[in-house]
Amino acid sequence: MTHINAVSFTIVIVLFAVVTVTGFAAARWRRAESILHLNEWGLGGRGFGTFVTWFLLGGDLYTAYTFIAVPALVYGTGAAGFYALSYTIMVFPIVLVFAPRLWSIARVHGYVTPADFVRGRYGSRGLALAVACTGILATMPYIALQLVGIQAVLTVLGVGGTSANGFIRDLPLLIAFILLAAYTYFSGLRAPALIAFLKDTLVYVMVIVAVLYIPTKLGGWGHIFGVASTHLKTINPKTHKPFGSFIVLPAGEWAYATLALGSALALFMYPHAITGVFAAKRRDVIRRNMAMLPLYSIVLGLIALLGYMALATPAVNAGVKAGGGNAQLSVPLLFEHMFPSWFAGVGYSAIVIGALVPAAIMSIAAANLFTRNIYREFFRPGASDAEQTRVAQFVSLIVKAGALVFVLALPKTFSINLQLLGGIWILQTFPSIVAGLYTRWFHRWALLIGWAAAMVYGTIQAYRAPVGGQAHSHFGGSTAPVLGHVMYIAIAAFVLNLAIAVVGTVVFRALRLPEGADETLPHQFTANPEASAAAPVPATVPGTRPGSPSAT
Amino acid sequence: MVQPQRRARNPLSAAVATVLLLIGVIGAFWVPIYARSAPKLGDFPFFYWFQLIWMPVVMVLCYLAYLLMRTAPAVADDANGAAATDGQGAK
Repeated sequence: MTHINAVSFTIVIVLFAVVTVTGFAAARWRRAESILHLNEWGLGGRGFGTFVTWFLLGGDLYTAYTFIAVPALVYGTGAAGFYALSYTIMVFPIVLVFAPRLWSIARVHGYVTPADFVRGRYGSRGLALAVACTGILATMPYIALQLVGIQAVLTVLGVGGTSANGFIRDLPLLIAFILLAAYTYFSGLRAPALIAFLKDTLVYVMVIVAVLYIPTKLGGWGHIFGVASTHLKTINPKTHKPFGSFIVLPAGEWAYATLALGSALALFMYPHAITGVFAAKRRDVIRRNMAMLPLYSIVLGLIALLGYMALATPAVNAGVKAGGGNAQLSVPLLFEHMFPSWFAGVGYSAIVIGALVPAAIMSIAAANLFTRNIYREFFRPGASDAEQTRVAQFVSLIVKAGALVFVLALPKTFSINLQLLGGIWILQTFPSIVAGLYTRWFHRWALLIGWAAAMVYGTIQAYRAPVGGQAHSHFGGSTAPVLGHVMYIAIAAFVLNLAIAVVGTVVFRALRLPEGADETLPHQFTANPEASAAAPVPATVPGTRPGSPSAT
Repeated sequence: MVQPQRRARNPLSAAVATVLLLIGVIGAFWVPIYARSAPKLGDFPFFYWFQLIWMPVVMVLCYLAYLLMRTAPAVADDANGAAATDGQGAK
């Protein structure tokens, strides 16, 4: 692991070069007259069909960090890590229900961010600001973690990772990120959309080969599961408890279920997921995608199993130990020891490129939020479309630079803790956004107070969660005992959030506090305007009503 | 602007779609259903193969729900149909 594997490294460099060229070329793909409009730069022209959206959302949601962290969790704790699978099972049926309404209302009013919708629906700048800030806060560490994923690959590749000189050590990461920042700046959302094709193809190939090939080298699935089950039962000398469990124990069921549900509810509150939804051309594209995206979840389930394959490979265990017990190295190490070096290179590339696509979309989403809901709302209300786009382009650079500083200057655990908090925080925007899609019953101030209370509660609970075996340690996990049951902190905070919003609404309504103007109309939530984002009038699908009068 | 046309949705098919989606979610949320190792499928304990198989099942459920929720050809596209589609919309 100290010397560079030339073959693997060359493959990674070549595929990275292909991605970079694609990223810059994307600016010309389905080009509009001017890219200086947020609908163009920030949402790719709002014209992605089923196929592109599938790749875009798949490339967006299943990130490099997922590929590294989920198997690492399975490697470290066993069955508990499979909550990620349960979570991606739940997410699409849930999102299928509300995402089309969100898409429609955004298309009718030209909303670019979820906070735009909250602003329009509740007439509340404060609530919109809360949603925007939560989105940005939750997204930043997520971008940083994509870098952590790239770092894991670079470490195993032997690139830079061992150099004593900090600058040399970080140089490959720096170069990768500067190039990413440059093509995102020029091409906007079109760049990750186009790169996603390559990324997802590589991921599918890598996973299918890994799942079919590695078990044959390890003596079959029976052996892999046997080793895992024996290892997880042994006592961890640090915590004096077993490493994990092979099947979720009754005591862990509630934590498993709430982790899965909370993550499922939270996923499409993340700005980068909503950006993917808003970029779709038609309402049907969203629904059809929710029925097709679970294909990626199957892949995720298989990727989770890589954690057990790593456990059953002695060389990987030795490598993880040599890397200071860093379980995140388990998948790259597995590739190194199981695959011929050229195919290991393909696997590494899948992870590296798998980091670039979401990082680009996340930075665009965060930039959109800043531009629309902070800059335009509070500083330059009259900002033109071109000015907004230039600001967003610039902010996307700042966001990436910030993520880079995060990873390079601060301990890695800092990003991981913040991402854990990000999941808890982002779920607290659910009531404002999703309830708002169905009803205006909630009072805007009640929603704001509920959000604030849940943010504080969730943060404190996460801070107090100890690391296994170490008293007085912090951010040890995302679960905590609530009313005698260990559960996902985000769900506990969410329930608190909802309860406060309901009580607050009853009180504020009784006091007749001003409700704020609502610019939406009921029929706009089911509207299906045709491709042109400029046309605010909902039209019917052609052909469904022959001879009917025109909609206007 | 005239009241925009609505695509009527049969309340029954909307209900069926909701039930299908609920089945999909509950199958994953109700952990005691699958937190067991037997019966095995090949070398895979139940916990693992159930979740891996539940995924394509949910895919099919989602697809059926999509078909049900998709635009029905507007048959009863009058004021009643429009009101029935939306439930508790905003004022």
